[in-house]
Amino acid sequence: MKRANGWRNYLYIAPAVLFVFCFCILSIIFTLFISFTDWTGLGRFKFVGFSNYVAVFQDKNFLLSCINTLVWVAAGLIIPVVFPLLFAIAITKSSFSTLFKNIFYFPNAVSGVIVGLIMTSLLSMYGLPQLLGMLGFENLDKNWLNIPYVNTGVMIGASVWQGIGMNMLLFIIGLVNMPTEPIEAAKMEGASGIGLYTKIILPLLKPTIIVVVLMSLVNSFKTFDSIWIMTGGGPYRTSETLAVTMYKETFSNNHLGMGSAIAVMLSVIILFISIFYLRKTFTREGSH
Amino acid sequence: MMQTKHAGVGKWTVNIILIILAVIWIFPFLYVIVNAVKSSAEYSTGNFWDLPKSFSISENWQYLTQQVQLGSGFINSILYGALGGGLGIIMAALAAYAIETLKIKHGLLWFFIIYSGTIFPFQVYLIPIFKAYNKVGLYDTRVGMILIYAALIIPFSVFVLRNFLMGVSKEMLESARIDGASDFYIFRKIYMPMARAPLAAVFLFQFTWIWSDLLFGMTLTKSESARPVMAAVSLLGGATIQKVPPILLAAIIVSIPTIILFVLSHRNLEKGFIVTTK
Repeated sequence: MKRANGWRNYLYIAPAVLFVFCFCILSIIFTLFISFTDWTGLGRFKFVGFSNYVAVFQDKNFLLSCINTLVWVAAGLIIPVVFPLLFAIAITKSSFSTLFKNIFYFPNAVSGVIVGLIMTSLLSMYGLPQLLGMLGFENLDKNWLNIPYVNTGVMIGASVWQGIGMNMLLFIIGLVNMPTEPIEAAKMEGASGIGLYTKIILPLLKPTIIVVVLMSLVNSFKTFDSIWIMTGGGPYRTSETLAVTMYKETFSNNHLGMGSAIAVMLSVIILFISIFYLRKTFTREGSH
Repeated sequence: MMQTKHAGVGKWTVNIILIILAVIWIFPFLYVIVNAVKSSAEYSTGNFWDLPKSFSISENWQYLTQQVQLGSGFINSILYGALGGGLGIIMAALAAYAIETLKIKHGLLWFFIIYSGTIFPFQVYLIPIFKAYNKVGLYDTRVGMILIYAALIIPFSVFVLRNFLMGVSKEMLESARIDGASDFYIFRKIYMPMARAPLAAVFLFQFTWIWSDLLFGMTLTKSESARPVMAAVSLLGGATIQKVPPILLAAIIVSIPTIILFVLSHRNLEKGFIVTTK
């Protein structure tokens, strides 16, 4: 009876596999193929080998886009990991932990586009710069999003404001669900304050720290919405990241080959990071 | 005695620091609420922290509706979130059921094939789907948008639902089998009701994602009839922001659904994250 049902069981999985195959897997193969051509979207493909990939490291604009991406990633490694950890430790010690938890998480309920719109008005002309100018910091009274290189820093700040709550929540979960015996034992032996954290609590929190670091890394590489809204990559392409450059090359300049090459590079980097993440997620699978 | 007093002082230092940070954290929202009701003239001549003297919501709304079709974007996004989200989660639930309960051959391999969809950045799907949609006539259609959103949410939904099924005892299923229930009957009448909580969590999470999406919305549509709400709002232009109060008003309006979902689900948020990070 079980055998007669065999083929029917695959009907359950067929729609999901079909959708993922058509939309995701075929797309990846096609993008990889296009990245070795100079396709403009119309007409024939001409193979150009690796020249799209080489161009990324030779053209000044692409190089700046790479550097900006690395700045986002470096900042994404430090700020969204260290700050949420400090927030989480403070919140677990505070008297109003639920309230604070919700306040710091709240910006996550708003999309990247909306954060972009709010921050654009808050950070340019009549917003925060004007306020600081009136408080006596006249050299700060400028449209921060129009100043090359400064704008990248400002946008990172805005994305930290939005995203910190998610990581904080993960750390709180890690701290609350921590085994209490080693901590009690360490306290008995006189450990307290910073020593307790560096020697006992942080090592116990390591699995959560790894997940948060990898997620932050991946998100930094993919940041698109807020940059697209706040500066559009400008002025003069100075705040572009690879995700923004990819979009512009493809849909503004019709360099589909170039856009594909950038997408493939992003994928390879993210795939590489994800391998660590997946290994952590699926090590339990082996025991099944 | 000294010890407890010291601990009390430390606790209040922590509380005060957190209160200051919390004020900074909600400041942008206060800014939005105070300034969304001002007239544009009042905004650009006054100080932005002044309380509004005029109440110009209707003018701001009028300006907004001249600039973009917020209403149709709103309806489209609800449609995409509900139908795309619903369709994707049904397919994901079926797949998770087949892998975990029907124990199909090479279940883990099938799982990884589906899960691979979460690993790549969305940029890698953009060009092929844009081109394919143009070829088959799905570009700038509602059906096209529902299909792509359904496809994109399948991998993560399968991951969460399979995790849930792994933790469920199979005894009830076995006794239903012995009673002669078919697999599909068990799926509908036993598993789906049992999985209501994770299904709801996944749906809220994915609805929020679809609602917030900009990339596919602005790439795969060009007309108001299919354009989702974030793509519509993005046309107001952040980088070249002209009239701030109407744009802030728009920001409030299009955030209402995700904020409602947040309020509805924040108690379950932590439970949901425990599942995804374990």
